Amino acid sequence: MNSLVSKFSTNNIPKQDVEDNEEYSDSMWASSAGYATNGLPTFRLPSLQQPTDFLRLHTDDHADPSCRIKIKHGTTTLAFRFKGGVIVAVDSRATAGSYIASGTVEKVIRINKFLLGTMAGGAADCQYWETYLGIMCRLHELRNRERISVAAASKYLSNLVYSYKGMGLSMGTMICGWDKTGPAIFYVDSDGTRLKGDLFSVGSGSTFAYGVLDQGYHWDLSDEDAQELGRRSIYAAGHRDAFSGNTINLFHIKQDGWDFIGNYDVSKMHYDGPGNIPGAPGTGYGYEVRTNPEACVVAD
Amino acid sequence: MSIMQYNGGSVIAMKGKECVAIASDLRLGNQALTISCNHEKIFPVSDRVYYGLAGLATDVDTMRQRLRYRVNMYTIKEEREIEPETFARLTSSALYEHRFGPMFVEPVIAGLSKTPSGGVEPFIAAADLIGCLNFAKDFVVAGTASDKLYGVAEGLWEPDLEADDLFETISQTLLNAVDRDAYSGWGAIVHVITKDKVITRKLRGRMD
Amino acid sequence: MDGKTAPQMRHFNPYSDNGGTILAIAGQDFAVIAGDTRQTVGYEIQTRYAPKVFRLNDKAVLAVNGFAADGNMFVKKVKQKLEMYRHAHAKDMPLRAIARLIQTMLYAQRFFPYYVYNILGGIEEDGSGAVYSFDPVGSYERESCRAAGAAQSLVQPFLDNQIYFKNQQPIPGGPPHPVHLPLSRVIALVTDSFTSATERHIEVGDELEMFIVLSRSHPQQSLDPRLNATEVSTTASGEKVFVIRRPLKRD
Repeated sequence: MNSLVSKFSTNNIPKQDVEDNEEYSDSMWASSAGYATNGLPTFRLPSLQQPTDFLRLHTDDHADPSCRIKIKHGTTTLAFRFKGGVIVAVDSRATAGSYIASGTVEKVIRINKFLLGTMAGGAADCQYWETYLGIMCRLHELRNRERISVAAASKYLSNLVYSYKGMGLSMGTMICGWDKTGPAIFYVDSDGTRLKGDLFSVGSGSTFAYGVLDQGYHWDLSDEDAQELGRRSIYAAGHRDAFSGNTINLFHIKQDGWDFIGNYDVSKMHYDGPGNIPGAPGTGYGYEVRTNPEACVVAD
Repeated sequence: MSIMQYNGGSVIAMKGKECVAIASDLRLGNQALTISCNHEKIFPVSDRVYYGLAGLATDVDTMRQRLRYRVNMYTIKEEREIEPETFARLTSSALYEHRFGPMFVEPVIAGLSKTPSGGVEPFIAAADLIGCLNFAKDFVVAGTASDKLYGVAEGLWEPDLEADDLFETISQTLLNAVDRDAYSGWGAIVHVITKDKVITRKLRGRMD
Repeated sequence: MDGKTAPQMRHFNPYSDNGGTILAIAGQDFAVIAGDTRQTVGYEIQTRYAPKVFRLNDKAVLAVNGFAADGNMFVKKVKQKLEMYRHAHAKDMPLRAIARLIQTMLYAQRFFPYYVYNILGGIEEDGSGAVYSFDPVGSYERESCRAAGAAQSLVQPFLDNQIYFKNQQPIPGGPPHPVHLPLSRVIALVTDSFTSATERHIEVGDELEMFIVLSRSHPQQSLDPRLNATEVSTTASGEKVFVIRRPLKRD
């Protein structure tokens, strides 16, 4: 869809001097030691007619698996709103091709005490822009003497990534938080989509997570049951999706900000479960058929 | 994406002292989707020769049937059990018959061959998908985690391991290699072939 | 087609892959950062000694892997920034700040990336050993062990097993697995990792260059003379930096 749009849209690529003026500005020699900027980040572009085609040629591993710069993909993230606040649950796997580059990725970005952002798509894009969003939210707080709303924060991010549309950013994020209006979730992606909703899941394993989530979701869920639902949904994706897994990170956003509930090993969830905590089944999430040798044998 | 990665899966074999071991993961996938966690890729030829097939599952199944037919014909004609090296040559020629339209499988063979003095000698071999044999003196690997398997095996393996140490070495090699591969894992199975018996164990591997 | 169509560039490839592997491991009060010194293009060896690991200051060492030209330029720019920081603040930049600096420097090239995988190792302000790993456009994470480059897939699972004790059960009733390994064990594992990678990967070999950064809280402030290490730190009171060079197979 996006490629179709970009085909018919005119690319308004920001003009950039070939000379990198930031490097040699006066601020280089002052006490700021070259670290001061005018607040807006600037980006170097290759001196080509279509810089975006260049980036696509070298980084898009769906079109060409042998391309050099592998941007990490594969994820399962979810967030849902219920009477007790917002549950945010993510896996921790990063893959480059079939290689599992990391099993300890922190896919929940702590924007501030009341705002969380999730990470799917390009790891660097999410990390960088959500950190940047954190700076902007703090500035909003200082200027207006009140916390930014989730709607405003997510719109800030949405407008920001929209200004780079067609340049190759890749993000699928949920901005979650608690503001004057109560718990809120906004889905924001690099195409410019921004949606308000009660329940979202993003990433290659999202279909598996939705399966469990939709089955167990209810507005009046208790805190413990809601946390268990988030954990169980990410486990399902970790088990079935090759590009999701390793560990689950679980957060619960309440009126007084977010709480980190815990980090759970997906494989331990399969065999033993989360242990003796309210809402948990008390056994492993994996079912008998998977470990029963009769269940699936090679045909003779 | 390569056809060799379509279903995923990995196989490894190692030599020990008067014993050999062969092991594989248990995943059957459809690209990123895991279909089964109990899909065995290692098959017995006799009670001292085993082989594993990594690659496209449909060709693994076909190849297994073809090899069984050929081994049966050999056994009837020769009136004796096939030697592991003979089986390796047979596999190689069966694969080369499809030189210009290959079966998408990479075989790994492990067995004990009989020596003239009446003893046994460990034998392992692997081939590419058109049958180029590789007789290694340490270990052989195949499948989507092959690069990872090479790295770990190179670090853990040592010559003349006894059966129980060989079991530990091959198990650790396989489990840690497949944990870095998105297309392999979801359980594992190990066969250790000694001159008296074959020990088969399923391993509790990561399920993600 | 009309004659007014602008000329189009069909192919522009400013990148190449120069092979090699880098590796860093953090201990409780030290960090080891290593890399081989072979530089290749395809099957050709361009040189047998091209360093990939660089001392930034007495508590930070940066390893770069991927496209050597980008890597060398990037290290140069990082060093420039660190020098400016030192002039402005009369102290070395702390490790976690260097990590964030590297992120912003890499992300500034988001639309024309440096084809470089970075691993930063060293000592944090609290005296602990640390490793930060980066992707080419700047996403980063603090870890205690990371391999990158041509043989990353060979080395990393071996390290998972030997450093994190993955898939190993501690003896029931016995002591649990150690969280941090002693320096001697880490040096042995790094050496083994590179000899293994050299054995099975054509782009790895020639020489191993290993930097060791010792925290001030490390019980020994010098290395075993048998290791044949050279000290490269600049002050007597700060963290100690050593280099060990070992031959690897050249075939």
